[in-house]
Amino acid sequence: MSIPSLTGVLTALSGLEADQAALDTTGNNIDNATTPGYSEEVVNLNSTTPQEIAAQAYDDGDVTTQLGTGVDVASITRQRNQFLDVQYRAQNTVLGYNTQNATSLGDAQTEFGEPSSTALSGQMATFWSDWNTVANNPTSLSAQQTLVDDATTMTKTFNGLYSQLSTLQSQATSEFGALTGSGGQLLEDANQIASLNGSISQAIAAGQSPNELEDARDSALDDLSSLGQISVTNESDGTVTVNFGDASSPLVQGSAVDWPQTITSATGGQLGALLATASPTGQLSQYMSSLNTVASDLASTVNGLSTTTPFFSGNTAASLAVAVAPGSVQTSSTSAPGGNDVAQAIAALQGGTADQAYAALVTQIGSNVQAAQTSQTNSQAVVTAFQNQRESVSGVSIDQEMTNMITFQRGYQASAQALNTMEQVLGTLITEVGGAGM
Amino acid sequence: MAVERITALMTSQATTANLATDLDQLTQTESELSSGKSINQPSDNPYGASVVLSLNSQLSALSSYAGNISDGTNWLNTASGALSDIQNMVQTVRELTVEGANGTNSATSDQSAAQEVNQLIDQIKQTANTTYNGSYVFSGTATTTAPYQTGANDAYQGNSGTVTREIGPGSNVQINTNIAGILGSGSGSNDGLLLSTLRQISADLSSGTPAAQTALGTSDLSALDANLNSLEATQANVGSITNRLSIASAGIQSTQSADTTELASTQDANMAKLATTYSTESAGYQAALQAGAQIIQESLLNFLSP
Repeated sequence: MSIPSLTGVLTALSGLEADQAALDTTGNNIDNATTPGYSEEVVNLNSTTPQEIAAQAYDDGDVTTQLGTGVDVASITRQRNQFLDVQYRAQNTVLGYNTQNATSLGDAQTEFGEPSSTALSGQMATFWSDWNTVANNPTSLSAQQTLVDDATTMTKTFNGLYSQLSTLQSQATSEFGALTGSGGQLLEDANQIASLNGSISQAIAAGQSPNELEDARDSALDDLSSLGQISVTNESDGTVTVNFGDASSPLVQGSAVDWPQTITSATGGQLGALLATASPTGQLSQYMSSLNTVASDLASTVNGLSTTTPFFSGNTAASLAVAVAPGSVQTSSTSAPGGNDVAQAIAALQGGTADQAYAALVTQIGSNVQAAQTSQTNSQAVVTAFQNQRESVSGVSIDQEMTNMITFQRGYQASAQALNTMEQVLGTLITEVGGAGM
Repeated sequence: MAVERITALMTSQATTANLATDLDQLTQTESELSSGKSINQPSDNPYGASVVLSLNSQLSALSSYAGNISDGTNWLNTASGALSDIQNMVQTVRELTVEGANGTNSATSDQSAAQEVNQLIDQIKQTANTTYNGSYVFSGTATTTAPYQTGANDAYQGNSGTVTREIGPGSNVQINTNIAGILGSGSGSNDGLLLSTLRQISADLSSGTPAAQTALGTSDLSALDANLNSLEATQANVGSITNRLSIASAGIQSTQSADTTELASTQDANMAKLATTYSTESAGYQAALQAGAQIIQESLLNFLSP
């Protein structure tokens, strides 16, 4: 039987090294326990190739047996479930859309400021009640003055609301521009993914496992998924190809970024919601068109009665204005100064088509905002659930790391003890045998 | 959701998310408490918001009707006062006519009675020119024109237009009285109405002939009585319209009160319930904060000896 005398020392050394690597990884995991996007790393240990030794010599030949030579760090891998990533990102896109939608619609609702006596509904009620005062005092200049003043305030509110809604649309367009332009979130994420693609493929080609780089790339993909739908394809060289929304060619391929491209609201995510907000068929446009209907109902019903001197000019929310001066408000179909049939008929329009159309608009906005907020809350809950599932797989558990640390520490201690024993054995050999020879 | 491993980050994220939800609810309750309203924006309750809008619109219309009724009542009271003044003056003329018909007066006192009747005619016309809030109440819709001129011209200057007030949805009430149908347009018009009769009495008193004296007792007196009757009928009509307005006013008040109650129940926050909810949520939030502060710190680390 012949075994090289230093084998035991080397075996003990490999144990020390493996446990040290495991301890280092545990330390790294603990350090990054709260780092966003960090995936727990695991040291995969393999026993090394055993050494063949001749155990016994027989007549018909030597029978060999194998002696273990220790342990080797095969790889350090990250704990990650790619299917959970796909689901998380899909839901994150929905959340991005719902969040932006709830914000945009909520802004529109705030502009209306209903229900309040100072908002448009209250101003319309004042307008009708002023007509009633004029009907009671057809010859009073001050009653007409009040009517014209209040009506002017009301028409200005119509004009202002319409322009505020249109401002919200242009804000959505400029926010879209900011997110997709140079220095915007989309390009930043795409560039980061492309450059990480390059580093990762190099590292893999060199036989390394670039765990941290992959974590960083996954974080960038998560971030990108809030802007719009993404579909990620893993390539054999370790890079990912990213298709974004309904853009015709891949946003990221290898280390190349292809942007700008044309996308539509079907892209979903925050960008899809912004496009929908600014769209001429979007909900804000519907509100604007409904507001136009209210204004045109108001103008046509009032002007239909005040035929001699139409009270309003303009028949859209943006153009509605009072066309008459105090004193020339038409109160009667006859020239008699005490006639009030026109003023009475106009006052009786209260609660009519214009009021009803406006109440319907306010109800529609309220329902839309409520639905958007509910969707946002729900998708937030779903995203949180997937986040938890991912965290359950990839997150660092301090308890587990502490347990591992004790295990590896004991392992290290044991390997050190083994080394110590080997040292004593060799010492004995050298002292005894060497001493005898001298 | 079955989770295999729980990590420190999950606990802290879940705690943060739950704390945010708690705080969100607390803020919502706080906003309802401070505004006193359960509907602060349409999205709080879209249907409720539409009810609030329609109730507000209805309440505004009701307050307009109430204003119209009070305005109409004042107008009618003004007219009613003027009509009773005219009635009193016509009674005075009737006494003078009866005295003239008896033939007991001297010619001089007949002359002065005729003078008095002429003055009463002017006063009656003056009373018919009564205004309410700057408008002549007996001029039809020609409210800036006095219905009668003092002096010899007895012609009615107003028109036959009607002045109405809306006292409910689609319910218009005429509040002006057709004075021309009572006073008429004087002797020239031959209409047999009050002014014409009074002019005839004045003429008969001043002429003093036996025929005139007879006429005073017969045709003049009967014409005057007929005119008085129609004056009284008009008075009664004004009174009944005033009654109708006061009934409508009571109806509007009860509708207003019902609408206000409904508005309050739709829009106003239930303070007692909110206060209870608020203190519950507040206690829950504090407990969550305290628990979070303790749970997150615990790990195996706490139990390993150094």
